[in-house]
Amino acid sequence: MEIDVKEYKRVSVIAVSGRIDSATSSEFENELNNLTESGRVNLVLDLSAVEFISSAGLRVLVTTRKAVKSAGGDVVLAKPSTQVNETLEIAGLDVLFEKFPNREEAVASF
Amino acid sequence: MFSLRNSPIAKKPLHPSKAIMARRTLTIQAYLDQIQIIRDLVSLAAADADFREEESYAVQLAVSEACENIILHGYGQENEASIEVEVLATPGELRVTLWDDAPPFNPATNPKQPDWSTDDPPIGGLGLIIIHRVMDEVMYSRDGDRNRLSMCKRSPTFQA
Repeated sequence: MEIDVKEYKRVSVIAVSGRIDSATSSEFENELNNLTESGRVNLVLDLSAVEFISSAGLRVLVTTRKAVKSAGGDVVLAKPSTQVNETLEIAGLDVLFEKFPNREEAVASF
Repeated sequence: MFSLRNSPIAKKPLHPSKAIMARRTLTIQAYLDQIQIIRDLVSLAAADADFREEESYAVQLAVSEACENIILHGYGQENEASIEVEVLATPGELRVTLWDDAPPFNPATNPKQPDWSTDDPPIGGLGLIIIHRVMDEVMYSRDGDRNRLSMCKRSPTFQA
């Protein structure tokens, strides 16, 4: 798994590639916690290059969403891969996250 | 998408008769980063069973969740104990059986997901929910001193 963070004036874009599973989710969680704890609560997750995401990854998405929403922010998804969409749908959590077809539209939504 | 280049899996040739199943077995140590090897094995078997890519992914996800439960809830932590897997592929059907040496742990009871709102979405128990939503059969038994979890998925799109 690789994580790339780009910070803009009001929004942070976090691009993840590879696998988000129980072996890697803590690294993903730490990266997102660092952002939210420093007050970055408008988050775009670019998950277009995620090959696999398990419930461990979903838990990070859900807890991050809860944290940023309580601080007046939100987390949206940019071009989630078919694997991300499939895991979200199977778990019944796809309704939680607004999705955009590309990173630019996701950033512009804030 | 599901690269096997670095996977230590040896593919067994399919029997010439289509009716004969392809059987693959593998044993891993109970470390979370080892689960990918089992996912690779399931991916190979799913191709033999003529599963579509999204069906293959769903079974890989369910098996992955089962393995994670064995490591984190059965054994309680990562360690050198083993998880043994057998994957049987017949046209349109996959059967995955996992054995472990952890204390009795039964994931075969279909979990009831409580009502939830978008303000308070669920965090725990997602693994079991995924397993039961993906697989057509989930059966647990004790096999001597071992846990045995057998899961079956039939492709809804397979046509002989």
